[in-house]
Amino acid sequence: MKDKLWKQYIDEDDRGLPVLQNGNGISRRTFLEAIGYTTAAIALTSCATPEQKVIPYLKQPPELTPGVANWYASTCGGCSAACGMLVKVRDGRPIKVEGNPEHPISKGALCPVAHSLVFSLYDAERLQQPLIGGKTAAWNDVDAQIVQKLAALKSSGGKVRFLSNTIVSPSSRATIKKFLSQFKDAKHVVYEPVSTSGIRLAHLRTHGVEALPFYNFDKAKVVVSFGADFLGTWISPAAFIRGYSEGRNVNERKQDMLRHVQFESRLSLTGANADKRVKVSPAEEADALLFLAKLVGGSSQSANFSGFEPKSLAEPTMAAIKRCAAELTNAKGSSLVVCGSNDVDKQQIVNFINQSLENYGKTISISSTASEGQSRDEDIQTLFQEVKDGSVAALFILDANPAYDHFAGAEFLAALSKVPLKVSLSPTLDETTSAADYVCPTHHTLESWDDAEAVGGVVSTVQPTIAPLFQTRAYQESLMRWSGDERRYYDALRAEWQARYFGGQSTFKTFDDLWDRSLHDGVFRPAVAQAGPPAFKADGLSETGARMTAGSSGEGLSIALYPKVTLRDGRFANNPWLHEIPDPITKTTWDNYACLSPNAAAKAGVVEGQFVRIQKGNISAELPVMIQPGQADDCVVVAVGYGRTKAGKVGTGLGTNAFPFVEFANGSFHYDSKGASLTATSNFTSFAKTQTENSAEGRPLIKEYSLKEFVAGHLHEESEKQVDLWKPHDFPEHKWGMVIDLNSCVGCNACVLSCQAENNIPVVGKDEVHRRREMHWMRIDRYFDEKPDGTTTRFQPMTCEHCDNASCETVCPVLATVHSSEGLNMQVYNRCVGTRYCANNCPFKVRRFNWFLYPHEDPVANLALNPDVTVRSRGVMEKCTFCVQRIEEGKIRARNEGRPIKDGEIQTACQQSCPANAISFGDLKDLESKVSTLRHTKRNYILLEELNLRPGLTYLGKVNNDGEDLEG
Amino acid sequence: MSLTTLKILMILITFIGAFLVWQGKTFRIYGDQLGYEPIQPINFSHKLHAGDNQISCLFCHSSADKSKVAGVPPASTCMNCHSKVLPDSPEIQKITTAIADNKPIEWVKVNDLPDLVAFNHSRHVTSGISCQTCHGAVETMERLSQQTAFTMGDCVSCHRTHREVTLDETGKPQIARENTAQKLMASTDCSVCHH
Repeated sequence: MKDKLWKQYIDEDDRGLPVLQNGNGISRRTFLEAIGYTTAAIALTSCATPEQKVIPYLKQPPELTPGVANWYASTCGGCSAACGMLVKVRDGRPIKVEGNPEHPISKGALCPVAHSLVFSLYDAERLQQPLIGGKTAAWNDVDAQIVQKLAALKSSGGKVRFLSNTIVSPSSRATIKKFLSQFKDAKHVVYEPVSTSGIRLAHLRTHGVEALPFYNFDKAKVVVSFGADFLGTWISPAAFIRGYSEGRNVNERKQDMLRHVQFESRLSLTGANADKRVKVSPAEEADALLFLAKLVGGSSQSANFSGFEPKSLAEPTMAAIKRCAAELTNAKGSSLVVCGSNDVDKQQIVNFINQSLENYGKTISISSTASEGQSRDEDIQTLFQEVKDGSVAALFILDANPAYDHFAGAEFLAALSKVPLKVSLSPTLDETTSAADYVCPTHHTLESWDDAEAVGGVVSTVQPTIAPLFQTRAYQESLMRWSGDERRYYDALRAEWQARYFGGQSTFKTFDDLWDRSLHDGVFRPAVAQAGPPAFKADGLSETGARMTAGSSGEGLSIALYPKVTLRDGRFANNPWLHEIPDPITKTTWDNYACLSPNAAAKAGVVEGQFVRIQKGNISAELPVMIQPGQADDCVVVAVGYGRTKAGKVGTGLGTNAFPFVEFANGSFHYDSKGASLTATSNFTSFAKTQTENSAEGRPLIKEYSLKEFVAGHLHEESEKQVDLWKPHDFPEHKWGMVIDLNSCVGCNACVLSCQAENNIPVVGKDEVHRRREMHWMRIDRYFDEKPDGTTTRFQPMTCEHCDNASCETVCPVLATVHSSEGLNMQVYNRCVGTRYCANNCPFKVRRFNWFLYPHEDPVANLALNPDVTVRSRGVMEKCTFCVQRIEEGKIRARNEGRPIKDGEIQTACQQSCPANAISFGDLKDLESKVSTLRHTKRNYILLEELNLRPGLTYLGKVNNDGEDLEG
Repeated sequence: MSLTTLKILMILITFIGAFLVWQGKTFRIYGDQLGYEPIQPINFSHKLHAGDNQISCLFCHSSADKSKVAGVPPASTCMNCHSKVLPDSPEIQKITTAIADNKPIEWVKVNDLPDLVAFNHSRHVTSGISCQTCHGAVETMERLSQQTAFTMGDCVSCHRTHREVTLDETGKPQIARENTAQKLMASTDCSVCHH
């Protein structure tokens, strides 16, 4: 019928194309009438709001109330520090992690990596089912084939190797051990690309215990660090920041503070926070350590080093070490010397220094059950050799990715073909897993049962907060299947706990009580026999000293490798949140680079952004130059963790892999070495930086004083009373305010990521950051200042200041930004038309404009969104709201219960997760609240006070501890 | 077929279509959903349950005083009574089948707020505002329909008139106008609902 009607008016021309018939009743007018009518009719009938469905449970879990979040205690699996965390689960899906304040080690602190876990959970690029030879398969087939091959292995007695990163879980280690015990020649190889095995081996030499000690920064009065970035990446940064900031906190009652001296070559986050920072090149570090050992050694033990003469050290460095030695000796038993090097010899000297200072058992505790950073670098080298020889019959790989992050990764990957059975248990198809015959993906941390004993005597629990999203299986369960154990890992874990912990305690009557309580708290502390630290053994110290003195030869530049605060060793390279957080020091996103000091860059004749070729032996890499003030002149510093080739759509191909520059010597990996040379190339790039102006230009943005000035009360001048043009606001009920303590803040970026996770902030990518269109509501400004004794670095977290006389509010033509009756500067997305006048008029530059509709088309990734916060659209301005959704939630909870809001009950996302406790938030109308109290302390000041903005956010000035007056 | 016939046919189709859509109460213009009364997968009668049998709203919508959402009852709540009451009715059989097949019932949402609004049921319910204030006389409805337009004007006019809510001795809020020391404000700040 349609065909006929059509044909009635249309002819075909001689080429077979349709042409309109002439004179057959259809005029142009009639045609338009018909078209117009049908268009209108179609438009009208589609005038219906789309139907929405509401789907209740068939049987609702009793603990669940729709729309109300449940919190579960768990443990972070980001690194081997195993910090305690609380997972917020809304309607069955985890949407936010926060620090667990009751965890005895991390005490509520979390680093940026932990916050990014939520994103990696909903990463659809995680492996979704097992693979056989790269093709998807069923678990039954995988199990059947592997069990068959293993049966053959058991009889033949071939070498079975299990390669993993550090496994902090004692129960998982037991499972692996049990699995490996089936074979005659089996071994568990623990490998960390950024290794701390030097410290473990040094403690094996000096104390007979191969474990990382725990460093109690809160008990230390003087901390001297040789290149250890303990506030950024070293061992357990979140817990260390908590201890460090407690030690550095000063107020009217506590007027002594931790003093921190840092000797380092690159400018690390830790060095940036030091009271005194001394530049030493990597090559000078050994001499500096030996010199300090000689000075603090005391008459009885120093015989080892009394003859040592530091030839390579410059006069100011020697003076600084002498002063350090005096300060450390004055604070015997409450001092701490740490070193970031992975060289066993250097760490042995550090142990000797700490022993001479009587720090063991006080600021340093040793436990043999601690399992942080468990790797032993020698083992992976042996494994490589075995693989190359073709003697390994079966290789099991969990998380470890040596094909990417080992310096001989390419060689290893090529040799892997000689291994007849390669099984990977990793959750992503990374460089190493791609070469496996069988891939049996394990769960994400947030889907797993497990435990963790990173620090001896503190066992944290890991519990799932969502059913597995994909067809993955816990690696422990896979291993149990292959050793003929059909239980769930949950049952095995409980059995393990019952055997290990239930017997030795008397608090709980039944095992279920113990288990439930531990899961609830997220931690269980088994009774540990209190014993002093193991005896110190001085054997071999003189030989070590002699080796170190002889070893400092070699020509050319030093190359030093470091992990970035956010990306670490690159295992989370597919997480865009971590890429977009600017590096705290360079303020650069999405890239790695070759850091050169201004002098070194001038000497090499290169400018920032110019590519240089770094050549060392037969290894070379091309990286753009970053000019880094405060860095030693004779070294080039490169971040590892970049240059992944199989990370996923986010991480693949970003930056350049620097792991090939790692060296293996004297039983451990070395991340700095001499003998590099630079060649300038004619290629250029431009970095995506979030801050391009380095200096505060002498403006008093960050008020600071020495500890003596603070104690004497000589702080900043009282400002003049200013006259308001406007009537003051009336705040009938609450007036929300925030105080940020610049003395506590170390600039770690955890707040920025916590804010991003809480407030559905999109990732914009390198190109847009380059155009200064980053969307983070919170940023940390970093200022370098050249002082006579070196570069000082200062951090200042910046977010919307919620000014009472807000300059943004007066210029908005559509009243999209207005003041609330509780002192909040509100942004009303639906009113905003995107003039951006407000952003231009904001003196703090904290407003962000949505230039694009950031796509939310991935249904899995969308599960990470916080349902309490609007997802903003294109053309809308946005900024910090002081987490108004949390304020409203807190108000509603209090009012429903018919009580006033308690101080500290409402916490903003940034405040909750600050490892340094630098952020306080509360009601300024409540005169007893913490913010009100802090506002009346001496250090409180208003940023850009001369503008009379009356902000709701004020800062507490920074105090520097110049140390005691020592003679000379 | 001539063009005139076609025109007449099209007009006829449109009118019949419009009548059907209007009859089914699914015809709405964006933003005006007053009277929206969609057909539900199960012919559930609020009149029978809440009206004739006097079952409290909170019996089924149990999170209305605890959560931002009132909550649609899980199928198991229905079966608490209906395993005994009229288990053989074809409508109840739909629930039994849903449970047996492990396939949740997909109700059509009647009262829907846009995503940019955060409304909290618990705050309103615990302040003593009756469900009918916004949802109309649900206890008289055979099939649920929307009785308030839920425009911002509806919310704000109430928030303005109930600005001053006082607390009694126990700290429980009650709607009153006299001047007492402690007042709770039904806020008209934008960020109370838009965040």
